Amino acid sequence: MTAGGAPAPQVEVVPLGRVNSTAAQVVAANLQALLELDAMVVEPWPEPAQALVAARGQYDAGIIMQELATPQGGPLRLGLMGKDLCVPFLTYVLGESQLGGRAAVMSLHRLSEGEGGSRAPRHVMLERAAKVGLHEIAHVLGLEHCRTAGCLMRFSAGLTTLDRLHMGFCPACQRDLTRLRMDLPARAPAR
Amino acid sequence: MSTPLQVLVVDDELAMRESIAAWLIQDGQQAAKAEGGREALAMMEQREFDLALVDIKMPGMDGIELLRRIKEGHPDTLVIIITAYGSIESAVEAMKAGASDYLLKPFDPEHLMLLLEKMGRQRRLMQENQMLRQRLAEGQMAGFEDMVGGSQDMLKVFDQIEEVAATDAPVLIVGETGTGKELVARAIHNRSARSFGPFVAINCGAQSESLLESELFGHERGAFTGAVKARRGRLEMADGGTLFLDEVGEISQKMQVSLLRVLEDGSFLRVGGGQPLTSDFRLICATHRNLPELISAGEFRQDFYYRTNVFSVTVPPLRQRREDVIPLAEHFIAVFAQETGKVPPELEDKARRALISYSWPGNVRELRNIMERAVIVSKSGFIGLEQLTFLDEGPKPGSTALSLAEMETEHIRRVLQAHGWNITQAAATLGIDRTTLGRKIKKAGLRSP
Ligand SMILES: [Zn+2]
Ligand SMILES: [Zn+2]
Repeated sequence: MTAGGAPAPQVEVVPLGRVNSTAAQVVAANLQALLELDAMVVEPWPEPAQALVAARGQYDAGIIMQELATPQGGPLRLGLMGKDLCVPFLTYVLGESQLGGRAAVMSLHRLSEGEGGSRAPRHVMLERAAKVGLHEIAHVLGLEHCRTAGCLMRFSAGLTTLDRLHMGFCPACQRDLTRLRMDLPARAPAR
Repeated sequence: MSTPLQVLVVDDELAMRESIAAWLIQDGQQAAKAEGGREALAMMEQREFDLALVDIKMPGMDGIELLRRIKEGHPDTLVIIITAYGSIESAVEAMKAGASDYLLKPFDPEHLMLLLEKMGRQRRLMQENQMLRQRLAEGQMAGFEDMVGGSQDMLKVFDQIEEVAATDAPVLIVGETGTGKELVARAIHNRSARSFGPFVAINCGAQSESLLESELFGHERGAFTGAVKARRGRLEMADGGTLFLDEVGEISQKMQVSLLRVLEDGSFLRVGGGQPLTSDFRLICATHRNLPELISAGEFRQDFYYRTNVFSVTVPPLRQRREDVIPLAEHFIAVFAQETGKVPPELEDKARRALISYSWPGNVRELRNIMERAVIVSKSGFIGLEQLTFLDEGPKPGSTALSLAEMETEHIRRVLQAHGWNITQAAATLGIDRTTLGRKIKKAGLRSP
C-alpha cells in the first residue's frame, strides 16, 4: 500500500469518451443508495478505439471490460458509454458484466429512445440508466438473473421490459446481495 | 422459479462459444461447451442435456450432421441451429431434420430470451410425458384409477380432498397399507391448480438411504461409484407439480433435515453437485405409521412432522367401511373382465358374504388382487367361494395355485393379447394350429376385448 492519495471507492463509474455527466452521477448515486456500495464517478477515459467493431459500428463490450477490470483488491469498475455496445453473438446489449468478476459496462445509446421514434424525457433516460447500472453491478457481485416479475435482476433486452422493472430487487435477490456484499472489502485499499 | 436448463454450446469459434456460454450462465442456466460434433457427442454420452445450441458451419462434422446424430442417439435433447444471415435454406433444412428452432447470428437478445423460455416449457412437457410413460410401464396406472365408496368415512375423505386441493399447502395422508393413499394424493393433484404439472411419486420405504437420496435429489456424474451419468432427481422432475413421498415414516432423520431445508428455501444440491437448484412443488406425504408415536420414541423429527402435516387426510381401512366392499369388488370385476376380454362374472351369494365378513388386512389392494385372480379363474360366468383366495385365512387346499388348465388359459390369453388377437400369429407362438387354438379359446370362454 503506497502512502498518500485518498482510498479508492468500492465502485468506480468510469465515463468512456464523451458521456452525459448527470447520467454518470445518477448511476453512482443509485449504486450507493440501493446497493449500499461506496460508488464514485472518476475522470473520463478516452473512447476505447480498440473495441470498435468497424463492420457493425458498435463497440465490443467484452473487450472494454477487459480494459476496465482491476486486479483483486482494486475497485470494481462500471464503464459508461454514449456509443452503442454489442457482443459477438448479440445484435446489441444495453449493458454487459463479468459475473462475479471485476467490471461491467453500459451504454446510454438506446436509453433515450421514446415511443415511435420520439425521444424519451430526460428523467426516463436517467431512470433507465440507473436500472441498467444496478443490474450489471449486481451481476459483478455474483447475482444471476431472477424470474420474479418486476425484480431488477430480471433479464431485459429491450426498453419495454426495462421500463416495467421496479427500481429495486425482490426479497430473494436482496437476501443474496446482503450475503455477497459481505465478501467485498469495506473500502478498497489506496493505490 | 424454474430449474436451470442444461445447455451444450457447440461452435468451432472459441469467442463465440465462450461468450454464449457465459451469457447463459449469467442467465441462471447451466452451460457446457464443445468445439465440434465429435466432442459434443462424446459429452452427451456422459450426461444429459436439455438443449444443444449448434452452429451450422463447422469443419469436420457440420451442424446438420450433428443434429441428425443427436436426434438419433438423444431424441429428448432439443436442438437449436445457429446460422448466419442469408443462409435461410440451411435453416429450413435444419428444421426438417428435427431442430426445434434456429437463430440467426448475431441474435436479437429479446428473441434469444423468448426462445429459451419456450425451450424450458418444452422440456417440462417432455418430462411429464416421460413420467407418464414410466408409470405406465411400471403398471402403476393399471386399474385402480378411481376410488369407489359411498360410506360415511369415504365421503368425508372426498370432502377433504376437495378442500385441500384448493390450497397449495403440504398434506399428510395417513392410512393402513393398501388403503389407496396414492389415489388420494393423485386426486388432490388432479383437482389442484397444479394439475397441469407433473405428479411425481416415490416410495421412500422401498430403497436404501443413499439410493433414496440420489433418487430424490439427483446426482452429478461421478458423485459415487456407478454414477456414470448425471441424473435429475424427483425433486427437479416435480417442478411445477406435486411430489408424493409414500412411506415417509421410513426415511432417516438425516434425510428429514435435508428435505426440511428444501421446504424452507426451495433450493437444494444434487449429490456431488455444487450448484444450488430450485424446484417449485407441492409436497404430499403418506404413511401407514403412527408418526406422533415415532416422534415420542425419538425416531421422527417433530419439526419435519409439523412442516409436512399442514393438512391431514385419514383414509379408513376397508374393514371400517364394509358397505363399500361389494361395490369395490364389482368395480374390479368390471375392470379386469374388460382387460381380459371376458364377460364380467357374477358374485355368488356365498362369495359375497365371505367378502363382507373378511378382515381385510391388505385393504383395497388385497381386494383388488383377489378379484383379479378370481376373474381369471372364474368359469361359467360366476365367482364362487372357491375362486376367492384370502391372505389371512391361509391357503385353502386345491385353490392356491392355478390349476394346469387355468395356467394354460391364462397363457393363451396373454399370447393372444400380445398379438392383438391375431389367431394365426398367436397359434404360431403357441406352437399349435389355428383350429386347436380356436377350440381352446371357445372352451376357456376367452373373448377379444
Ligand atoms: Zn443481466
Ligand atoms: Zn430477484
